[in-house]
Amino acid sequence: MQVNDILWLDRSQRVSISELVDLSGLTEGEVRELVEFGALVPTNPQEVAWTFGADCVVTVRKAGRLRADLELDTHALALALTLLEQIQSLEAELSQLRAQRPAFGRW
Amino acid sequence: MKYKDYYGILGVERTASEDDIKKAYRKLARKYHPDVSKDPKGEEKFKDVAEAYQTLKDTEKRAAYDRLGKHQSGEDFEPSRDWGKEFNTQFNEGHSSFEGVDLSDLFASLSRGRSGGGRGNASFPIPGEDYEVAAQINLEDAYRGTQVALNLSVPVYDEQGRMRRESRTFQARIPKGATDGQRLRLRGQGGKGHHGGRDGDLYLTIKLNPHSLFRVDGHDLYIDLPLTPWEAARGATIEVPTLAGAVNLKVAPATNSGQQLRLGKRGLPKPGGAAGGEAGDLFALVKIVMPPALNEHEQALFRQLAEGSTFDPRRHFKEENANAS
Repeated sequence: MQVNDILWLDRSQRVSISELVDLSGLTEGEVRELVEFGALVPTNPQEVAWTFGADCVVTVRKAGRLRADLELDTHALALALTLLEQIQSLEAELSQLRAQRPAFGRW
Repeated sequence: MKYKDYYGILGVERTASEDDIKKAYRKLARKYHPDVSKDPKGEEKFKDVAEAYQTLKDTEKRAAYDRLGKHQSGEDFEPSRDWGKEFNTQFNEGHSSFEGVDLSDLFASLSRGRSGGGRGNASFPIPGEDYEVAAQINLEDAYRGTQVALNLSVPVYDEQGRMRRESRTFQARIPKGATDGQRLRLRGQGGKGHHGGRDGDLYLTIKLNPHSLFRVDGHDLYIDLPLTPWEAARGATIEVPTLAGAVNLKVAPATNSGQQLRLGKRGLPKPGGAAGGEAGDLFALVKIVMPPALNEHEQALFRQLAEGSTFDPRRHFKEENANAS
């Protein structure tokens, strides 16, 4: 497999809005609405041609599934995504604190 | 084929209205949807719930399902030849065998039958399925990059375009740079596309197995560094294990418990660091450890130290008390 066939889905990589559309099954209008509602943040919001961190691929795919399976409209979708994002960052913080906490009782 | 009690899965009566079915589905979907549920069995449960809803929300499919009769959940049964004729499934063509067919495939074939035949007969491009899998790997493998074998249940189509699910093993290469929770998209490594449709992608979520020495935070690693009281007091050079082998770490005199000593770039490599660049750090967390029991000689030495030292780590207690009175 070629290395360029591997996309790291994190902020170190960039994707275009059309890639987000292709990979999520959402329409471009829906992706733009998710930006408007604050669930997705472009790396260059001032410019016409938006780019996004590749971590947004995970978000829009989740959005695609939630929209289809829970029959949510874009507004509800944005709210759900924002809350899920908050949970994720709290979990990340928790795991960071756990990593930094010495393991007691071993000595 | 195994019978599934779709009404039971949704927790509704066989006489339930469309609205009741929808409400029951929404309630269970909110509970078990893999994107929102913390239930480890959520994905499996959601699949059953979604499968039941796909059939029962559709009047025609629900009628076909009802005509299969009542069976025990998990009971082996076979739809009658008449059933196949009446609902015009592709399984009715020629050799009308239902062998090896799953109940969900049967109802999926009903909707394909309505929309003009199975996948094998279609001439429009159909993209391959995307697969989403968690890859459980060891920290050492994440450090070096690794190859993993993934077991997936994938749809396969026979010459008539009939779909069956089969368990397949895939090899996926995980380049170095991954850490816990990292997601990767491997383009074209999912299901095969049909009639010129693009191949699906493989989405991997990396899960690191817990390590006996290192804890992981992003690309940084943490290790507990137990020191004897005299090493902490006098300073020492300590051999510390890292993923690239042991290194010597200089501990300064008067080091305290809880101090973090940083070993730069001794953590996990970051993605795209092929040129040997970016990597996380390794932090050694100092913990001063007392011997479980002091022998006579050690007791004498500590007594001597206690008598000869003026150090008072609780001086601020007294200052607080003096201020308060």
